[in-house]
Amino acid sequence: MVEPVNSSLGKMLLEEISPVVMVLCTPLVEETFLKNGLSFVETLKPFCNFSNIDVPVRTSGDQLYRLKKFTLRLFNASDIRQPNVEVAKQRLEHVITQAGEKVFHDLKSDPPQITDILSNPESEIAPTWFQYYNKELIRTLSFSDHEAFDHPVACLLVVSSKDEQPVNKFVDLFNTNRLPSLLNDGVMDPKILKHYLLVHDNQDATTERTSKVLSEMRSTFGNNECNLLCTNSSKEGNVEHQANPWASFKSSVSANKLGCALTGDDIVEIKDLMQEFASRHIIPHMEQKVRDLNQQISATRKGLRNQIKTYGGEKEKTMYTFSSTESQIRILGDYAFMLHDYELALSSYRLISTDYKLDKAWKHYAGVQEMMGLAYFISDQSKKEAEYCMENAFSTYLKLGRAGFQNATRCGLWWAEMLKAGDQYKEAASAYFRICGEEPLHAAVMLEQASYCFVLTKPAMLNKYGFHLVLAGDHYKNCDQVSHAIRTYRSAISVYESTTWSHIKDHVHFHIGRWYALVGMHDVAVRNMLKVLDCGNQSKATQEIFLRDFFEIVKKTGMKHEVVGLQLPFINMSSLQVIYEDHRTYASQASVLVQESIWQSLEDDIIPSLNSGKSNWLELQSKLLPKKYKESNVCVAGESVKVDLEFRNPLLISTSITSVSLICELTSNSDDLTVNKEPSSLSVGTESSAEHNQRRREKLVRLTVTPSEEGILKIVGVRWRLSGSVVGVHYFQSTPGKAKTNKGRRKNKLTPTDALKFLVIKSLPRLEGSIHHLPEQLYAGDLRYLVLELKNKSESPIKNLKMKISHPRFVNPGNHEEDVTTEFPECLKKGHEQNFVQSETSSVFSFPKDVSLQGGKSLRWPLWFRAAIPGTISLYFTIYYEMENVSSIMKYRTLRMHYNLKVLPSLETSFEITPSPSRLQEFLVRMDIVNRANSDSFHIHQLSTVGCRWGISLLERVDTILPSKSLLPGQALSCHFMIKDNRKSGTEEEKTISNPPSQTDVKMFTQDDDEKLFDIVNSPLANFHESERSCQETSDQLSTNTVDFILISHVAKSSNPSGVADIPKILSHHSCHNRIRSSNPLSWSLDGPQTIYHDFSTSLCEIQLKLVIRNTCDGLSSVSFNTIDYLPDAAAPIPSSGNQSGWRYVPPSRETPSSMESSPPFIWSGLSSTKVQIQPLSTTEIPLQISVFSPGIYNLSSYELTWELSGHEDASSGTCQGYPYYITVLQPK
Amino acid sequence: MANTACFMIVARNDIPIYEAEVGSAAKREDAAQLHQFILHAALDVVQDLAWTTSAMFLKSVDRFNDLVVSVYILLNPLYLPGSRITSTHFDTKVRALARKYL
Repeated sequence: MVEPVNSSLGKMLLEEISPVVMVLCTPLVEETFLKNGLSFVETLKPFCNFSNIDVPVRTSGDQLYRLKKFTLRLFNASDIRQPNVEVAKQRLEHVITQAGEKVFHDLKSDPPQITDILSNPESEIAPTWFQYYNKELIRTLSFSDHEAFDHPVACLLVVSSKDEQPVNKFVDLFNTNRLPSLLNDGVMDPKILKHYLLVHDNQDATTERTSKVLSEMRSTFGNNECNLLCTNSSKEGNVEHQANPWASFKSSVSANKLGCALTGDDIVEIKDLMQEFASRHIIPHMEQKVRDLNQQISATRKGLRNQIKTYGGEKEKTMYTFSSTESQIRILGDYAFMLHDYELALSSYRLISTDYKLDKAWKHYAGVQEMMGLAYFISDQSKKEAEYCMENAFSTYLKLGRAGFQNATRCGLWWAEMLKAGDQYKEAASAYFRICGEEPLHAAVMLEQASYCFVLTKPAMLNKYGFHLVLAGDHYKNCDQVSHAIRTYRSAISVYESTTWSHIKDHVHFHIGRWYALVGMHDVAVRNMLKVLDCGNQSKATQEIFLRDFFEIVKKTGMKHEVVGLQLPFINMSSLQVIYEDHRTYASQASVLVQESIWQSLEDDIIPSLNSGKSNWLELQSKLLPKKYKESNVCVAGESVKVDLEFRNPLLISTSITSVSLICELTSNSDDLTVNKEPSSLSVGTESSAEHNQRRREKLVRLTVTPSEEGILKIVGVRWRLSGSVVGVHYFQSTPGKAKTNKGRRKNKLTPTDALKFLVIKSLPRLEGSIHHLPEQLYAGDLRYLVLELKNKSESPIKNLKMKISHPRFVNPGNHEEDVTTEFPECLKKGHEQNFVQSETSSVFSFPKDVSLQGGKSLRWPLWFRAAIPGTISLYFTIYYEMENVSSIMKYRTLRMHYNLKVLPSLETSFEITPSPSRLQEFLVRMDIVNRANSDSFHIHQLSTVGCRWGISLLERVDTILPSKSLLPGQALSCHFMIKDNRKSGTEEEKTISNPPSQTDVKMFTQDDDEKLFDIVNSPLANFHESERSCQETSDQLSTNTVDFILISHVAKSSNPSGVADIPKILSHHSCHNRIRSSNPLSWSLDGPQTIYHDFSTSLCEIQLKLVIRNTCDGLSSVSFNTIDYLPDAAAPIPSSGNQSGWRYVPPSRETPSSMESSPPFIWSGLSSTKVQIQPLSTTEIPLQISVFSPGIYNLSSYELTWELSGHEDASSGTCQGYPYYITVLQPK
Repeated sequence: MANTACFMIVARNDIPIYEAEVGSAAKREDAAQLHQFILHAALDVVQDLAWTTSAMFLKSVDRFNDLVVSVYILLNPLYLPGSRITSTHFDTKVRALARKYL
């Protein structure tokens, strides 16, 4: 800690609380000194500070001490009065304005860094003009009536030797009428030390006259009290002083001129004069006065305590003249203070303090307390006492209201200085804060001083520093001190730069930006304003103000700003997508968005694999290409590279973004080093030239660049124009992207530089492709004829086309180029001859070798499409082709097409097949159809079995159960069919006729008779059926005993709007692998005559019968046959219990016997029990015989079959009762 | 009584992660930024004080004119440094409590 005397407060006190010398001089004296550009007082001022005057002093005690530092304050008599408040205020304002002009040119530079501020030495943190301001501020309180240290100690009377009657002049000068009023009205003691000085101007006065006058003076006023000052020794008046002593006191005039007529000898003379004046006259005088007063007071005070009031009563009206005891004590204290006898000063102050307090003379009391505090401080006594006194004085002044505020300010300044000297910076800051007052300029200065205190606290309180600077700045601005406002905000920016306190940052940058604009520094203004553009968290009104002011300032600059890192709009770098085509080309935007892995897995089969399965063609080319390009992407000259980028407006108000464009560089191959920044060989597409960014909206912008030459293309950044005035630039590389090099990846979520660098290769053919009329929404089963159109827009032909489709179940390529004459769907009907197509075994469709696409030609290829299953289907097509006649590093390309379909459910069919109970090889089919569509009705056209094996016939006309012919949404329908196995079975020869092919199809409605049936054995239905078969495979696929059905329907015309936009013409529903359901593995029938005429008179009737048993299952079956010679029950046995829903086959065409009254017994006369082995799916016959004794109707159901399955996975066994079989035996007439 | 208040949660390194202007007084346009300034400045005081006391509630640690700053020092071990509190539910709760007690 610094010694109090050497602290800044110590220096201040030495300067401010020091003896006052009143100067009275004649106009001629002033004239003499004005030759030097100085007044008389000003001339002497630099020589009034004595750093080591070394005068022995004895005040109250017997102790002698030596005074070292000493200062005199010289005032013209006219200045010895309380300063005019208004004038003082103007002077203070002038100080600030002047300082503002000085700092103005520094404002352009970058704001200081916080580390710089902290590393500054203590003395440099606050600008130097603050000391000056504080001094001026303290001076506004000079010559107050409650203090005595401004009372003149001595009077210096100065007369020029050129004056007429100089001695008389001296007398005139000290004429009471011309003395300051303070001396006249009793505040100050007019009886002061007088000293007489005769000025001799060496330039124009004669020495004789001067010496005559001097001797006259000496005889009049006494030898000791008179001095001679010879001055202006330089005749030419052009002396230049090194380190001009007046410069620091007078700044307005050019400093060099000051004292131009004063030679070094003159200065020495002045110095000696002042030294003598101080040490010989003033100090002894004060010493004497202190001793006198001390004596007088101690005498008066004895026993007279509280009796010394001059005036009683009302507080603060109390007027203490210099002669009152209180004033005398105060004078004693102040004199002692000025003579550095702080003990005596303190004791005097203490003495008077209580008196003033009792008198309620608060101003006097506060003044004394203030002096006590200072005395405690400067004498390095109790720090606590010092602060207590200061605080007491301060708050007492404040209690006086406005009247005391000026005093409180001075007290606060001293107090703050005291705290600073004691390293109590935080408290000092609060002291400054307390003296802010209401006057804004004053407050600004105090706040700024407070802010510097926060820097000096340990640890530094930078947040407080920033806050107080901002407060100060606001006050400066209110007083139009813009450069000071900028200065403080500039410093505050360093505090807030790194924070995320958005309101604060916006406030600081916005205001400093505006102020910079006010002082005409538009570029700096714009720089600051740019930082508030991303003000999404502000209210809408604020955002509007921010933007409005920003654009105003930009307009004022009158130039086009190109701003790197403009924050409006926000560029979402994670949205950056680069879409380009190398050997992989895309038919549409939809296909670009598909994951690369899907394409890769699809293309595995058709892309020629090189070294290994993993290698891509780029690696092969590594020999051809310089290594550094190996990892860059490849694109083709003339083909555009697209960049998708999302712009986001963070504001609540809309902003307009125009002229969005990419910044690209193209380095041509031939000359590797020249970077073609303004490339003529590069066309940069500007999409969305007038973009209106809505509030709080994101907007995806697609930008394209098309290189037209080979070389290296780099996409550097993006440029846009904000509201038609500011051009924003964003460089992609500047964003630290994740260093994830996914080479070969098309989409790069983030931006490694590699992703934005392209190797441009020579122009190549590029195939364009599309599938015409592919609906987006259709019904399941919808069968369509589509055309794939491929266009080769380049010059050179392509060859070796191959195609792979992700869903062969849905799409079947035709096998020759489109025949435009064929009508759909008529071409699918019978009678239209078509080439039979063998179904494609490979999933890759190779176009015929002779198909090559010449330049500028297009190819139309038929595609059969069938919506196989309901749901959302993504169809992927990839077409491989090779370039002909092109020597390029790229040998082939692929065209990728992607379509999304929504397949709605339509008709759902289920089939149940049960064996016919009475007929071998015949089966009953129940078809259940449900219309699952939401809005459309369907017509059922045709049901077909697939293959030649099964013949199909209707059991009932559907017309009868569904007269409307169309199945409404949600409606269900059951129809019954019979199917017949046409296959040659076992050893039997009777079922040898194979059904003609027409029998495999059945029309559902008779009305449709004129319509032809669809041919299901030809392409494409057959092909689709094959796919369906493989897709519908079930677990027990081994079973051969299955039936496949194809139901063909079409949408009924209705007035209601259809569920799909494009009404299908034909729908095919494939149901494969329908198994025959039955409870036992056998089917059998009794074969024999139905009616027999027999003459029973001759013999009993023997009838030969045959039981045909068929093993319908896959295992070897052993069957034992037993006859029963009695009827177990009158009721006919029910062949099976597995029947559902009450429908049952009733054998047709058998006339039931009319009466059952006579049922004479018959006997099984042939073999009554036998056991046979039946091979799987084969038939065997058992001959039977019955004997009948009388005519009648006989039911031959009295037998049972016991079967046992073996060889099958699950061996099983069971017993079946015989079916009723009626035989009529008649007696011939 | 009409009053103005601001509730903020500040994470390590003085990063504000939640702020709510509460209180019944009519909203002044610059209230939010004034509050931010005051609270930001108060952090200096809090940082000094936090190490000298074991109390978690620091009542009236700082003031600016008639605005008083009180601080709770809390620790959330589950907090991911730097993330903001964006829960609307939390926001609603804070404002409801403010209405109840202010």
